Amino acid sequence: MNVTGHLGLFPPLVPPGHAGDFLQSGRVLLSTTSPLNDTLAVFAAANVPGVQSSQHTAVYSSDDQPIFFASSEVTPSSERRLFIGDTSIIFAALQNLTNTARARGPEWLQNEEGQRMIRKLAMDYINFTKECWIHASQAPSQPEGSPQFSDDHYRSLYACLSLFAVLYVPEYGFEDAPVGDDLMEWLNIHFIEPSTEEGDHLSGLERPWQDETFWPYLLRATLRGLSKAATFFIGTLSRHSSADLRRLSGQVSPLLSSQPRLQNFSTERDFAYASHRWKDKIKTLRIEMDGVPEADRQDEFDNWWDRLSDLIGILEGRGEVIQKVCEDLGADWKEVCVAWGVFTDTRLRRQDLPDIVARILEEMPPDPTNPEDMMHAALFNGDPARALIHAAHIDPWLGAHLADMMEVLSLIEIEANEESGLSLRNHYVLSYAQYLHSDPALWRITVAYMFSCGEIGIRSADEVLARVPMGLRRTGDKLIGSGEKTTEGTSNLTDLARVVKDVNATCYEYQREEVRRVVCRIAAQIFVQEKEYGLALSYCSSAEDWPGLGRVVDRVLEEYIDAGPDQFTHYVASIAPSLQAVRTQPGAQGIFIHRLIFAVRYAEFHQRLKNQDLYDAAADLMSMFQEDLVPKSWWGAILCEAVTLIQHNAVLLFSYASACILLQRLEEVFTRADQGSGDDYLRVLMAKSKGSTLQDALTRLQATRLALAKYFARCAMIGTGGKQIAERRFSVGV
Amino acid sequence: MIQTGLIQSAHNDLVTDVSYDFYGLRLATCSLDQRIKVWQLDESNGNWSVEDDWKAHDAAVSKLSWAHPEFGTILASSSFDRTVKVWEQTSYGAQGESQPNGASQQQPTPSSSRWMERAVLVEARGTVRAVEFAPHHFGLKLATISSDNQLRIYECLEQSSLSNWQLSEEVDVLALPSSSSQSSHSVAFATPTQTSAALDSASASLVAQALQQSQAPFGQSRPGMGNREADGGWCISWCKDRYWGELIATGCGISGVIKIIQISPSRRPATLLALTLDASPASHAVSSETTTAADADVPTPYAVTSVAWAPSCGRSYHLIATGSRDGHVRIWRVKPSEDGDVDDGEGGDPKWTGSVVADFDHHKSAVGRVEWNITGTVLSSAGNDGRVRLWKATVGNVWRPAGSVGVEQTEDQQDADVNMDENVVAD
Repeated sequence: MNVTGHLGLFPPLVPPGHAGDFLQSGRVLLSTTSPLNDTLAVFAAANVPGVQSSQHTAVYSSDDQPIFFASSEVTPSSERRLFIGDTSIIFAALQNLTNTARARGPEWLQNEEGQRMIRKLAMDYINFTKECWIHASQAPSQPEGSPQFSDDHYRSLYACLSLFAVLYVPEYGFEDAPVGDDLMEWLNIHFIEPSTEEGDHLSGLERPWQDETFWPYLLRATLRGLSKAATFFIGTLSRHSSADLRRLSGQVSPLLSSQPRLQNFSTERDFAYASHRWKDKIKTLRIEMDGVPEADRQDEFDNWWDRLSDLIGILEGRGEVIQKVCEDLGADWKEVCVAWGVFTDTRLRRQDLPDIVARILEEMPPDPTNPEDMMHAALFNGDPARALIHAAHIDPWLGAHLADMMEVLSLIEIEANEESGLSLRNHYVLSYAQYLHSDPALWRITVAYMFSCGEIGIRSADEVLARVPMGLRRTGDKLIGSGEKTTEGTSNLTDLARVVKDVNATCYEYQREEVRRVVCRIAAQIFVQEKEYGLALSYCSSAEDWPGLGRVVDRVLEEYIDAGPDQFTHYVASIAPSLQAVRTQPGAQGIFIHRLIFAVRYAEFHQRLKNQDLYDAAADLMSMFQEDLVPKSWWGAILCEAVTLIQHNAVLLFSYASACILLQRLEEVFTRADQGSGDDYLRVLMAKSKGSTLQDALTRLQATRLALAKYFARCAMIGTGGKQIAERRFSVGV
Repeated sequence: MIQTGLIQSAHNDLVTDVSYDFYGLRLATCSLDQRIKVWQLDESNGNWSVEDDWKAHDAAVSKLSWAHPEFGTILASSSFDRTVKVWEQTSYGAQGESQPNGASQQQPTPSSSRWMERAVLVEARGTVRAVEFAPHHFGLKLATISSDNQLRIYECLEQSSLSNWQLSEEVDVLALPSSSSQSSHSVAFATPTQTSAALDSASASLVAQALQQSQAPFGQSRPGMGNREADGGWCISWCKDRYWGELIATGCGISGVIKIIQISPSRRPATLLALTLDASPASHAVSSETTTAADADVPTPYAVTSVAWAPSCGRSYHLIATGSRDGHVRIWRVKPSEDGDVDDGEGGDPKWTGSVVADFDHHKSAVGRVEWNITGTVLSSAGNDGRVRLWKATVGNVWRPAGSVGVEQTEDQQDADVNMDENVVAD
């Protein structure tokens, strides 16, 4: 994750040191960013303006126009995704906690219950990173190859989080307890020294003190408070040739193993008293040591006295000795600081630590090339904000989760930066979300983090939510989408519906109604393209997009024009059920609903026609006209279709009054056509008989006129309103 | 930075623009070869495959823009042939009235989708350099900028057919006063009538040309020297936020100024703010009145060739990035007035302010493109040094380099962690 690095794209377009040649060739470099995952698409473009392609074809090969894709983030691998997913649960728990705190008042987090819960969650993070470390360290044996992040990366997270917990999230009631032992425990777990191999090596020797690693090992063990190892090797000195050393080592041994430890005392007072007594014994030992004559202080290899003096110096807690020993051993500032809390100032408090650390760091600075070391130093130094900078450098995950906890613990500024509008926490959490966005499959987690970051986070999440890929589209027989390829169109749409449902649910959860509507409108568009008009309609109504609903209905009506009544009734069958639902919806706008009702009724009419249910068909036709459901553009078409019913020989299907209405409508069409707006009334009729002119359409309508004339003649013969005319009440409604 | 893919050969001639769709799952590319290709991403392996390919214009295609998907699958292309075309993808079997684009007849594509030419917008009197659909909440609209200095806004009148586009605004960007004056008096003084605006534009572009020829251009990045097409309108970028109404940042000519133009149905377009490095914006305003200024000591003129308005994402301010021929990438922080509600009367527009919050000359040569990511947190800039650079804000809100990619072979290219074979798309 070397974000500031430079990448040479492959295949390179110019040799090293010839960047200028590129421009000379008449090309410039352009790029664009993918909304999917921030991938850059980089391409060599023509140097506009106005260069004719012939001018530079000689310079580059014409069949080589590459587009490169590059990303600043590595998409999380499966093991990393697992880590991200599982830790997001802990993050959510902490969110719940802060939300509860908001409800119960800020002081709630400061009391015992709140503090214990925060600590528990911190421990959860620590334990989880530990698991990951163990898992990753076993990974090389896995068949899928080495994991994306090395075990050392997770070790580093584990160490940083643990240190944070030791220094800033102590057990409730122990905030003000001496911190030395806890720090020593942390150091011994995460930075193991001296190594077991060295110990094994030395313990196999007859005279280990003759080995050059003997004294360094012994001093390191002492420095680390590893009394067992130290006592063991001090014990071997009982075989040393020097009588003084034999005697002194015999006295050191019990002192090493009897150093008072805070955890063994019920009160700090007792601990302090015991420590004092113990220190006195060390003093006695020092006096005795000083009594050894200069001449006797050397054995055949070394000046044992100096070495033992260093050891006693550590136990005495002499700062300068500890620092010197550490420098000799190649140990860093951490070891000095920790030893300080164990030997020099056994009652060192957390709040006093920065003073000591600052002094030590001046002489033994941390390694600036090692972000982990820098981060530890900042934590020791009581500078959480600085620690975050380094944490984010190690892993945006660490920056985000530490910042989240730090804000809850009031360790960092809560106020937003005036310039950016972001608090420290939100900055780091959003940076992490930005990283998560490199993997579109993680959109749920991405938005969850974003939604925790105030207005800026919420609006950022909106952008991500609206773009959750659902563009599974048909490409011939092949469907390309995020999942497996299928040849079955319906399962593809089921997928789409599932994604839309998911996004919808998320929008509901975070109350993002505007985004939800956008997503519904897009879904409706896709469903229209797939001719899933029923679904399209319900998404339009879910988005309360009434003009959109109108357009869907128009598309269905076009199906009639394009494909005829059978297809049309089939499609209407899928939209009819939504009519009822839409009608009851408040705010549904009349005109578009009107068109939907027409589509449904018109399909019914065709269904009846097909079933030879002519009475009802005629009734439908009349009621559509009487209720003014028929859009003007359809008048011509429907009047044309009425011919078969009017000409029906067996019975008269229309009442005299109805026939009059038909005639009225017919006349209106002719009159308007005369006035030049025939298009308005005949558009559909013209579209239906493809390529026909206005005149053709009018000619066709003449047939209806003739049929009506005959119909009136029949009515007259039989007698107006005669018995053979169907006396039916027109059934209204669906 | 890592390389994640490669299309080895996208077109038969130089590519002119590449544009991702709303989701980033498709890519539209255009080229000097007058064709448009649409590519589809296979998410399982990161490969791109051609979905459609057709001859779109009678000259090189300059830029592409996807409409918001709630309007359907719609693409607009601008061209050196002085037109903008609107294309719609239809699935196979849906018979529109217009004929499918010509490409399919010459060489059958594997896909069943067809891109239909729905509209041709022919008003431009010069190369159309850029086209961009407006944010979806303003409806189906698009803006174009061309070498005739005109910013044009088109509105689709019939969404179902996409065939009827109304030219709702036509603005001579150079002639438009640089700053919106509070008093109606000075507006009357500075705003030319529609007819004189056209005259102004002609004279202004002559001025621009004269400037260009009298001054040594920056670097050697001006192959169009002496060519009328070399200047004129360069770039546009819509404000993505709904709250402030229809705003568009526009770069035109070689004055180094970006004008933020407010489009409103009730009033004529006006400059809300001019982003200029000079303390007094008026001195940079290229209008017919400044002809005399051309002879005086004018700073080396340069064109701002790319502008990008960041999605504001809930921020209380706007970020606008510019890339220009002077080799600089600049980030402007633009703030609507705090006390916008002081008076609502005539001329009581909130006073907008802009300041440069980052200015980088790392490219050391003309910057061709700047672009933001979807949350406005990462800026990318592409320069003639053959590099694309990324920029991010630190926790202290200081913009810093955040990586780069380049086409120059690096020393350690052999060791580069690039797995080529899987991503090569042979076409």
